Amino acid sequence: MGGGPAGLSAALRLTALQQQCDRAPLSIAVLEKAREHGAHLLSGAVLDPSALDELIPDWKERGAPLDVPVSDDRIYFLTQKRKLRFPITPPPLRNHGNYVISLNRFIKWLAEQVESAGVDVFTGFSGSEVLFEGDQVVGVRTGDRGVDREGNPKSNFEPGVDIKALVTIFADGVRGNLTKTLISRYSLDDNRLPQSYAVGIKELWEVPIDRVNPGAVIHTMGYPLRSDEFGGGFIYALSKGCLSVGFVAGLDYRDPMFDLHEAFQRFKRHSFVSRLLAGGQMVRYGAKALPEGGWYALPRCHVNGGLIIGDAAGFLNSMRLKGIHLAMRSGMYAAEAAFEAIGSGDVSQASLTRFQTLVDSGQIRAELYPVRNVHQSFSHGLWAGLFYSGFSLLTGGWWFRDPMPAHAGHERIERVDTVGGRRLGSGVGAVAIDRVLTFDKLTNVHYSGTRHDENQPTHLLVQDTDICRTRCREEYRNPCTRFCPANVYEMIDTGDGPGETILKINASNCLHCKACDIMDPYQIIDWVPPEGGGGPKYEGM
Amino acid sequence: MILVVAEQREGVMNRVSWEAVVAAQEMAAQGFGPIKVVVIGSTVAGVADEVAAAEVAEVLVLDHPALEPYTSDGFVRALTQVVDAESPDVVVFPYTYQTRDCAATLATRHQRTLVTDCIGIKSGPNGVLFVRPMFQGKFVADIAVRGPVPHFVSFQTAAYRADAVARGVATAPTRRVEIELDVADIRQRPEAPFKEAKQAVDLTQAERIVAVGRGIKGQEYLPVVQQLAKALGAEVAASRPICDTGWLPMDRQVGSSGQTVAPKLYLAIGISGAIQHLVGMKGARTIVAVNKDPDAPIFEVADYGIVGDLFEVVPALTAALGD
Repeated sequence: MGGGPAGLSAALRLTALQQQCDRAPLSIAVLEKAREHGAHLLSGAVLDPSALDELIPDWKERGAPLDVPVSDDRIYFLTQKRKLRFPITPPPLRNHGNYVISLNRFIKWLAEQVESAGVDVFTGFSGSEVLFEGDQVVGVRTGDRGVDREGNPKSNFEPGVDIKALVTIFADGVRGNLTKTLISRYSLDDNRLPQSYAVGIKELWEVPIDRVNPGAVIHTMGYPLRSDEFGGGFIYALSKGCLSVGFVAGLDYRDPMFDLHEAFQRFKRHSFVSRLLAGGQMVRYGAKALPEGGWYALPRCHVNGGLIIGDAAGFLNSMRLKGIHLAMRSGMYAAEAAFEAIGSGDVSQASLTRFQTLVDSGQIRAELYPVRNVHQSFSHGLWAGLFYSGFSLLTGGWWFRDPMPAHAGHERIERVDTVGGRRLGSGVGAVAIDRVLTFDKLTNVHYSGTRHDENQPTHLLVQDTDICRTRCREEYRNPCTRFCPANVYEMIDTGDGPGETILKINASNCLHCKACDIMDPYQIIDWVPPEGGGGPKYEGM
Repeated sequence: MILVVAEQREGVMNRVSWEAVVAAQEMAAQGFGPIKVVVIGSTVAGVADEVAAAEVAEVLVLDHPALEPYTSDGFVRALTQVVDAESPDVVVFPYTYQTRDCAATLATRHQRTLVTDCIGIKSGPNGVLFVRPMFQGKFVADIAVRGPVPHFVSFQTAAYRADAVARGVATAPTRRVEIELDVADIRQRPEAPFKEAKQAVDLTQAERIVAVGRGIKGQEYLPVVQQLAKALGAEVAASRPICDTGWLPMDRQVGSSGQTVAPKLYLAIGISGAIQHLVGMKGARTIVAVNKDPDAPIFEVADYGIVGDLFEVVPALTAALGD
């Protein structure tokens, strides 16, 4: 379930295993909610090719679009007016041997490899629910099509279909809706740390071709974030004057008035960034959440008849800012575990524990375990986090309390009246929107290419909208209007008096980033997949 | 001689048929002969009179009860007889579903070439060249048709402007053509035309549109703009928030998730001009915007802008039109 790096790698590995063995061929299918391969995928992205080297050793000959090798690594600390370059690049952020890529283009290519290996990749199909028989996962049900706003069938109505499988591999991405039901049904996160998330937004810019060396990788810390906020900016130079410019912020900020999109505009207005972008043009926009919790936040990934991989599980190295290679590797492990389990005729949880063994004995643990406490240390602020990051390199991740305690990010958001004398919002005064360097959210959304049929039920379920206009307005001033990077949530004047507002959900703006599902302080927003095919149309992202 | 096939429905000339007439007039201007227009259907005399006002040599009235409603057998049989009798050099079709359905059959009956979806014409050494996009618009080809006439050709919608039709100095003569058409020869049995929703409006056909946005504040104020639309003979459209809240039906939405329109006149009332809306209407010939925010992006595309309260400006416009 899910045609991203994890799901496609699993499918491709399965075909390879099948070829090495004379068993009756398996039927393998990948379901993807985007209308086209890769259309819902974006990332920075810097790719560590280690998993790709194993999955497709001849990727160069097969024309993999790994745009440019990393030529240069730089890290800056920004203040409002200045920049300070880190004298050395810490080892986890050294990218020698890696590639600056467009994930979306890479996945288009990977999907072609998977299809030419004989796997059907069905795009435009979302998984609406997991099918169970007793305690066993037996497949998924795809979403209905052609349902109107009120839930009535339209003239083009087509009910979802049940797809049964011996093993279902869930690669439905960060905070995946299917994985979410698995975690709660099987209590897969018992005795684990709560997952911590960040959300990243990114623009693709076309700038004069000699502005930045292709392959340059720039990371920033500091401004416009305050020291208790996790995150930073990135600028990756692709070829042909194309710049990937983005900003990531932890979804564990305290200030309810914080707005990542606004912070990103301030970042772009910093003289360091605005000089790089001057004379250029913003051509694409997108957003995505990231699972940052690391080793101790991984749920149990094997259930009877099912496996969870990629971002859905949380295979991401937040210290190296990389997850694509781990997603691919987890997919390859899942393929091996599933293939062996099917061969033995036993697809129970016990049999699929093989996946955990592979994770523990292989590259994934080797990479994630030593940095197991790093992300959690940043919850004590930037300086504590940086100190611990350096310390952990020496100690292999040891700390007095291991695991270092953590809280779910949405629990940290503070009420407006208790934030006290600290300034609210990401900066002083509003950011000027000139639609050249800075943009409003709605204009940005246009550049994501997102599209949903307007006449369908909303796919953002808010259990109790009374909370929005009463408690939430008082306590947090409706942070959904800020943490959503796509202007999905709006509080509209009812006209019944000053400050009387009502929630309006512009579901068709949604970028499928899941920030709302994650960050809502009352946890009453449920993201479910819209009609298959709906969503952003990323190109080159 | 150029023969133009003009379609009508319920006594109203199809707008794209006018575009076909304009294309033919351009060919005539380059010396490819006089124009005859054949108006096809049942009880089409009114439309024929309308067409006769244009600069054409003759209007042929192909009036037969079996031609209503449209069937491909009926149209092919009828038009075959007209083409045989008139021996045109070129037969021009408007860009319609009916053309898609019957033009290929008609060309095949005559064993002649059909050039579809042209966007222009050029003068070539051996006659007219038809310009048409190929390979999903990556190339534009100039097509020279060899072989005996007549050649069949259709033009894409909006390749020519319907309102650019040249009027004749005198009314063109109208002639009724007699054909033999037996209802028993028509194999198709059409059902009622399919309409997805009741009262679906086709905003793309509207020449004038009055569009309303969030500035209207409440559904109860919609009559303010509806009266202006009535005074202008315009269709009412809206930006997404208005249709999303259900104040107007979704088929009146203009923009990236609604319809794309290119009317002669587009009045944007209380619309800020988010890019999602602009992409749906920036092709309008004349854009007039009324908004109280002087920085609203709508003014960047407007030909005429009024910064002011729509509740003052719009009633004043309506009153002025009423005089």
